[in-house]
Amino acid sequence: MAFLTLQLLFRRLVLAIPILLCVSALVFGILRLLPADPVGMSLPPGATAADYEKLKQAFGLDRPLFEQYLIWLGKLLSGDMGGSIFFRRPVTELIAKALPATLELVSAGFALGVIVGGAGGLGMFAMRGGAGEHALDGATTIMMAIPEFLWAILLILFVGVSLQLLPFIGRLGPGIQLPPPVTGFLLVDSVLTGRWDSLRSALLHLVLPATALAIGLAPLVMRVLRSSLLETVQDDYITQARLRGVSERRILLRHALPNAALPAISLIGVQGGFMFGGTVLVEMIFAYPGIGNLMVDAVRNHDLPVIQAVALVYCVLVLGINAVVDVAYMAVNPRLRLAGSR
Amino acid sequence: MRLSPRAKAAWRRCLTNPRVVTGGVIIGLMAVVAVLAPWLAPHDPQEQDLLATLLPPMWLAGGEARFPFGTDTLGRCIASRLMYGARIALYVAVVAATGAMILGTLLAIVAAYFGGWVDWLISRAIEVWMAFPPVVLALILLVGMGAGVNKVILAIIVIDWTRFCRVIRSEALVVMVRDYIAAAKLAGFSHRQIMLKEMLPAVLPLVITMMSIEMGIAVIVEAIMSFVGLSVEPDVPAWGVMIADARQTMHQAPWGVVLPVGAIFLAVLAFNLLGDGLRRALDTRLVLGRAEAA
Repeated sequence: MAFLTLQLLFRRLVLAIPILLCVSALVFGILRLLPADPVGMSLPPGATAADYEKLKQAFGLDRPLFEQYLIWLGKLLSGDMGGSIFFRRPVTELIAKALPATLELVSAGFALGVIVGGAGGLGMFAMRGGAGEHALDGATTIMMAIPEFLWAILLILFVGVSLQLLPFIGRLGPGIQLPPPVTGFLLVDSVLTGRWDSLRSALLHLVLPATALAIGLAPLVMRVLRSSLLETVQDDYITQARLRGVSERRILLRHALPNAALPAISLIGVQGGFMFGGTVLVEMIFAYPGIGNLMVDAVRNHDLPVIQAVALVYCVLVLGINAVVDVAYMAVNPRLRLAGSR
Repeated sequence: MRLSPRAKAAWRRCLTNPRVVTGGVIIGLMAVVAVLAPWLAPHDPQEQDLLATLLPPMWLAGGEARFPFGTDTLGRCIASRLMYGARIALYVAVVAATGAMILGTLLAIVAAYFGGWVDWLISRAIEVWMAFPPVVLALILLVGMGAGVNKVILAIIVIDWTRFCRVIRSEALVVMVRDYIAAAKLAGFSHRQIMLKEMLPAVLPLVITMMSIEMGIAVIVEAIMSFVGLSVEPDVPAWGVMIADARQTMHQAPWGVVLPVGAIFLAVLAFNLLGDGLRRALDTRLVLGRAEAA
């Protein structure tokens, strides 16, 4: 079973390769439309035309477009993403530093969104027809009408500035030293090295940005789970269970939920991918040093190597999470599991 | 235009649906305010009064009646800027959503009708597009094309046609196997006639519903892009620009942030309500998410 799941995952990831190639060509092509001149902008004042040509050659911008793409792709495959024009450091290094922060944030937002969405969906179903359902339904409507980045600002304003309950800048409080790097993941490193002060501070710093991200996911999960539960309990096998005298609670959690969760899981797959998009602005607003923040900085400075590398990393993450959720979907859905093994 | 009895019944269901009415009324009022902004606004949106900066709304202590919603850091009237901002938001919503709708619906019907390699190509394109978080694709498009409100519209069309295409293609595939399409083919209708006269009306309820949701998404995308400075010129009042400006001073003057956030909320809520109501009234079976935009 576990082996089969891994095999499925592998197959899904192989299928993603041609998509990634198209994505990389698209990113590369779009960014070459650029009217601005990144070489000119990265030269110091008083530079000569010879300096200009030299730098252009150094960036490889003097060759034909297709050749530039192939060179970029070749280097990319060997792990070299070029050098940042603005930060003047290797792009791989910048991304390696920022990516764990984003993954930590997305994992927290994802977990929070799924838990709140799942609990909310069950709650809405349990209170169906009552005032509680209407209240929760109204809440989802409001949550969905405000995009993540505005939730981020509102959370900072009300929870961070007015109530001063939680920190809202960066990943760690001032005066707290980074734990010695082991994995690059702040939470993991703090635990591994027994640094409880940095663990506490990092967790507190995660609450608001993760909440902003979770608000994008939770209401959708709630609604889909509620309506699929409403459909599932009409099924004969639920009536059967009820006739056998199984308790309502057990029917809901053990009999109805596993089937009703399927549409919610496939929705989570699509929305989980979009959550990475949400990190771009949320990270910028919370000055959280992840790849989203890196992307905004790069966009503002027309730093092409960074923009294209980060865009590609985002696509890899989206395709990766889609593959994982697809496989999870098959693993919990016996019908598809049998079909997939053939 | 004469309507069929079925179309009339659908119209009546829409007009009696509370969500459709609420959403429609809010959008209608916003549109009136946007169009009449030059006459309704108490001030020019760019006019600065450096002796009256960061005033609170008039109903709070320290507020002044000549600035109903207070002023920003440069002493500009927030109420006037909100009204002019509605023009940008609604302009982008209407033009971008229409463009994405036309492109996406057209490709969806073409894909379903011709099938084969046409369908294969369009479906693969959707897969590639779906690999991008929309915000990331929007950012690189705007870096490539340069900033500007019309570029934002173009970016939304280039990104969000897939949203229509995906859903409408599967609906159009269902329509394709209906008898009346076979009959139209036998009767010798041209490809164009079948697609426009037979298939398009069948998917139209779905298109209308999605269009409403898409307008809400377009409002959000424009707000994001003007927030990061890639949309309107800096001297044009857009809601995203107002939020970005007021963010610097939000601990002293929270209203500067809260009011434009409220405007975006109201617009998106109205479009979502309208879409939700239309979906119920027109009975299109689908689950639509919002802001896949973010």
